[in-house]
Amino acid sequence: MFRFSKEQSIVNVAGVKFGGQCGQLPSVLCGTIFYQGHRIIEDEERGIFDRAAAEKLVFRQAELSEETGCPAVLHLYGRSPAAFVRYLDFADGVWDGPFIIDSADPATRIAAARLVSEIGLADKAIYNSISLATDEKEAQALHDSEVDSAIILAYNPSQPGVDGSLAILETGGNVREKGLMAEAGEMGVRNLLIDPAVLPLGSGAGAALRFSVAAKARLGLPVGSGIHNAVSSWPWLQKKEMTIRKGCDAAAGAMQLLAGADFLLYGPIESAEIIFPAAALADILIAEAVRDLEKPPGEGHPLQRLV
Amino acid sequence: MAEESDSINPGRDAGYEDPWPPVRGDYLVSDASGGVAVVTLASPIFPKGAAICGQCKTENLGVEKIVANVITNCNIRILILCGVESKGHLPGDTILALHKNGIDEQGRIIGSRGAIPFIQNLPDGAIERFQKQVELVDCIGREDVQQIEELIRRYGRDCRPYPDKPFPVIKRSVSSRRVSFGQGDISFGSRVIMDSSAWLVAEVIAAKADAEGSEG
Repeated sequence: MFRFSKEQSIVNVAGVKFGGQCGQLPSVLCGTIFYQGHRIIEDEERGIFDRAAAEKLVFRQAELSEETGCPAVLHLYGRSPAAFVRYLDFADGVWDGPFIIDSADPATRIAAARLVSEIGLADKAIYNSISLATDEKEAQALHDSEVDSAIILAYNPSQPGVDGSLAILETGGNVREKGLMAEAGEMGVRNLLIDPAVLPLGSGAGAALRFSVAAKARLGLPVGSGIHNAVSSWPWLQKKEMTIRKGCDAAAGAMQLLAGADFLLYGPIESAEIIFPAAALADILIAEAVRDLEKPPGEGHPLQRLV
Repeated sequence: MAEESDSINPGRDAGYEDPWPPVRGDYLVSDASGGVAVVTLASPIFPKGAAICGQCKTENLGVEKIVANVITNCNIRILILCGVESKGHLPGDTILALHKNGIDEQGRIIGSRGAIPFIQNLPDGAIERFQKQVELVDCIGREDVQQIEELIRRYGRDCRPYPDKPFPVIKRSVSSRRVSFGQGDISFGSRVIMDSSAWLVAEVIAAKADAEGSEG
């Protein structure tokens, strides 16, 4: 419910808008499919999966997006280039909106960026991510691709905390020669989405919330996080029932939105059932909180659609 | 060894901190007087017979937890690395590099091929102690539980405690800082603004508010 003096840019990827002042736009919600251990996958390396089950998950996220007004993004995670070939073929057939291409393996990320360029889907793709781990080879591959949207991961383990996260974006801190934002520009990335990098609970997860506000105030760019990681990495909670864990997931997402976030990487796409209502609730509360400070949100906003 | 189960309370001079392990994580503790610890990397397997056994999926925080839990127990002299690597993160490769090369001035683990291999929360001397206290057994890729249990038995036979006290692992405390109010860059309306750098919320003084006009 903050109002920033810095102009807040709005990023448009395949028709989905991220950013703006708090309460201006509905939150963008990104559910992950084909994540490690996803039960619909039969072979992670080859990308063999239960297509009917995957369609059901994608359609359900789309339904909830339509119902609540919170735009959806399909977050594709792949373990190998071969898997990405199948996943992108699937996504192209069932999903019109933007999608994230993500892998822990840099060679797979590179292959995915090349692939979306070859098959004409680069304008819908969001690269996850440009980070401290991005080396020259990956930077060159991204430069050579047609992908122009990326998540910038503000993780700076050499200087933990908000100041260090801002430093890695702006100057590179003491571990890179340039800031990641400038480097992303050199890679041809025009649509920057800032991610504070959420550490495990107890290791500094909360800094993501403060960073979100600080980054929007300072940079004016859309910010969002995988705050779900703080929940899933909490051993104490893992011993609790599913409903309790889901409740914490929803609470964490809503807290991140209250802290100024424009989008959530909310984790497994199955969590759409609880995240979309929680985010819609947060969006309505935030929009009402700034009602006398900002223009009312547009017709698609949960405030106009659900109350 | 990155996450948790029960900790053990030692007797006097047991060679480990009370309680041990000091850092929480998803691991199983069997016998704190045992000489062998096992890291199964990304493989969800739990071979028996080790002092402590668990997964490690990250090349920074996960590795830190392993070092912390190992050097607080002098009985542990062997660290077996097994299971499949966590793709991209490469914590197994990172532990090998840390043991061989240590870290540079920025905390980067020298020679690691992992994505973001940094140590940020361990006290001075912890890495050196890790290097001296334990010998690594590189079985990365192996997932056969019986074979790993055989290794635990073989290496555990002749282990003798490290001839020093458990290394104290102190959680780094973040020092608070006194900050003064700078320029507000976030507005809550009603003449309440926030300086996001200082993380301070304040009421705009009357003269400034008059100059800026009413906000809400």
